[in-house]
Amino acid sequence: MKKTKFPIFTTLLVVVFLLFWVGLISGNILWTSNTPPLQVIPDMDVQTRVQPQRLNTFFATRSATRAPLEHTVPRYGEIYRPTTPEEAEEEYRNTLPNNAITLARGKNRYGVYCTPCHGASGEGEGSVAARSVTLKPPSLIAEAALARSHSDARLFHIISAGQNIMPGYRDKLKEVDRWAVVNYIREMQREAGGYFWTAEAAAAQASALEESEEDGESEGGTE
Amino acid sequence: MFTENVDKRIKLSFKIGGVLLAFVGLSAYFGLHPRVSDVGYRPEQPVPYSHKLHAGDLGIKCMYCHSSVESSAHSAVPSTSTCMNCHKAVLPDSPKLELVRESSKTGMPIEWRKVHKLPDYVNFNHSRHIRSGIDCASCHGEVETMGVVTQMQPLNMGWCLDCHRNPQDHVVPAREISGIFMGAKTYEEVAADWQNSIPTWGDGKWLSEKSFVPGFNGTIMNGWKEEDRLDPKAVAVMKEAAEKGFEGVAFASHAFEYDAPAAEGMFVPKKPSLGPENCGACHY
Ligand code: HEC
Ligand code: HEC
Ligand code: HEC
Ligand code: HEC
Ligand code: HEC
Ligand code: HEC
Repeated sequence: MKKTKFPIFTTLLVVVFLLFWVGLISGNILWTSNTPPLQVIPDMDVQTRVQPQRLNTFFATRSATRAPLEHTVPRYGEIYRPTTPEEAEEEYRNTLPNNAITLARGKNRYGVYCTPCHGASGEGEGSVAARSVTLKPPSLIAEAALARSHSDARLFHIISAGQNIMPGYRDKLKEVDRWAVVNYIREMQREAGGYFWTAEAAAAQASALEESEEDGESEGGTE
Repeated sequence: MFTENVDKRIKLSFKIGGVLLAFVGLSAYFGLHPRVSDVGYRPEQPVPYSHKLHAGDLGIKCMYCHSSVESSAHSAVPSTSTCMNCHKAVLPDSPKLELVRESSKTGMPIEWRKVHKLPDYVNFNHSRHIRSGIDCASCHGEVETMGVVTQMQPLNMGWCLDCHRNPQDHVVPAREISGIFMGAKTYEEVAADWQNSIPTWGDGKWLSEKSFVPGFNGTIMNGWKEEDRLDPKAVAVMKEAAEKGFEGVAFASHAFEYDAPAAEGMFVPKKPSLGPENCGACHY
């Protein structure tokens, strides 16, 4: 009888194919695809109800998510009225307590929304600012930084409504979170040392001003 | 009946046919599993937006764009105005951003293609997961390394339950890049919390044998009801858990009390716990 040669090559091919096949059907080989996954039994996977951010050809924008109509007020949520820092200073007061958790919240929110431009330290060295010629934010903590002499409400207004090229963040940050960021900016300024605006100092200054005005008036009266 | 030769051929073709059938059947069964058929879905997007550039290289946190993730069930894909926050000034006339500028001008949203898709009958809530310090990477893979978002997890029911029973094996604890708020804790402390919680839960495998307790299933839509607590089988499971010294067994994730918020309306993170098992938690 003729001795048949063991088909090494074919066996190897079969083994490699089987290994590949097992890897593939067990999901251990990542196979990317541009076509949506096959739905063998589609059950009630796709329902006609309106869902956030889905395509909806009923509306002109083709989106199921609708912007609020003009002159309407959100049931949950806030409306921010001030258009100038002065109006904000009149309408808003910082009443957020300063404790470990609110400061941590401020640090976290600052880290998410402000670091791309202002940088983690507040010096304006953010990664996005570094790549742009025009988007160069001023330092928030330098000795001569305007942010040091701005009142809390004014910082709140800048965060809410933006300033020049800086976008406003009131759509992303709730009111408490914006105050938390304000408190965190103050904390950074405190750590850097030097002057910064405080409610007490501002109040003292205002009353001193009032007093001196009153003095002036009374002096004028006696003369 | 047949000649020996034909008989042999019939037998052979049955053998070959059987093997082929088994091969095709097994391939179809395993190959159509969501682990294979769904994972790796990577649609081309209308704008060549890259997470690798924005999140990876520039270090923009996930929440800058997906800001609703900690407060709502749905994690929103950012609106055009979010892109324009920067692209008003950064690369204001790049041809790749043509569609973004157009969308900003006309108010028509960009039609991004949805990658991760649960069936519409499933009630999935992002904020419930984010609150406990579960990172995006647990369910989406390391998106910050992806040029084009690719589905990395099967998203089938077994996958959800695997994690709810043994979260310590599946959870990637919150990371810096996601921007998840964890109170005054550092991310290292959160990771340690996940590890240290294991003894208090026990081995989730113990639970998985008993977890589908009738009376729990389908009956609870919004958390515990008094009559659910009194279901004799449920009581037995809870008693056994207490004897073993485990606290907070599944379907009881509601049982954990939340801390009071540090200020009115502020987000409150939550301790790690097991996920729910009751059908009503995930099915409307
Ligand atoms: C897209 C980049 C960008 C982001 C993100 C950003 N800013 Fe700004 N910010 C700027 C620029 C640019 C200016 C300068 C604006 C101007 O010219 O008046 C600025 C100005 C400011 C000022 C005023 C400083 C001054 O001296 O007048 C404050 C305060 C401030 N930003 C706070 C924040 C806070 C808080 C956040 C996070 C919620 C934030 N910014 C996020 C770019 C940014
Ligand atoms: C600069 C804005 C931006 C940042 C930062 C960002 N994303 Fe996205 N993300 C988008 C946009 C736009 C899309 C939709 C287009 C797409 O799928 O690529 C998207 C899509 C996704 C999707 C797929 C959604 C679907 O359709 O299923 C996931 C998951 C995701 N992002 C996770 C993350 C994670 C995790 C991070 C942080 C590492 C992150 N994103 C950071 C803008 C951003
Ligand atoms: C926080 C700032 C920021 C946000 C928000 C942002 N980008 Fe970018 N984007 C950048 C920067 C910085 C670059 C890189 C510029 C460079 O390479 O010099 C960039 C680059 C790009 C590019 C590549 C352009 C090119 O010509 O190479 C695209 C496309 C892009 N972004 C799309 C988007 C989309 C879509 C969104 C909204 C989901 C978005 N970006 C949101 C900062 C941002
Ligand atoms: C416990 C798992 C889990 C975690 C953690 C998680 N996701 Fe998701 N994500 C999902 C699932 C499941 C879907 C599909 C939801 C659907 O189709 O209804 C999804 C969908 C999304 C979408 C697309 C929404 C849409 O409508 O297209 C985005 C964007 C997203 N996730 C971002 C994030 C970000 C950012 C994080 C981290 C902060 C995160 N996810 C954390 C499971 C998770
Ligand atoms: C990476 C692990 C992980 C994955 C994957 C996961 N979950 Fe969860 N899930 C958890 C944990 C842990 C909790 C408990 C959170 C807490 O402490 O409130 C939870 C809680 C929940 C809750 C809230 C229950 C309650 O008490 O209100 C729902 C609903 C839920 N998960 C649904 C799902 C669905 C649906 C999926 C699959 C698409 C899924 N989860 C995938 C870990 C996970
Ligand atoms: C942790 C969340 C979760 C829980 C708890 C849960 N389910 Fe599901 N279920 C899912 C998800 C997610 C899917 C969608 C799976 C998919 O996409 O294939 C699903 C799908 C299903 C389907 C359809 C499967 C198909 O492919 O047609 C049925 C039936 C079902 N679940 C029944 C139940 C029952 C009964 C229970 C209680 C014993 C239960 N589920 C508990 C998350 C859950």
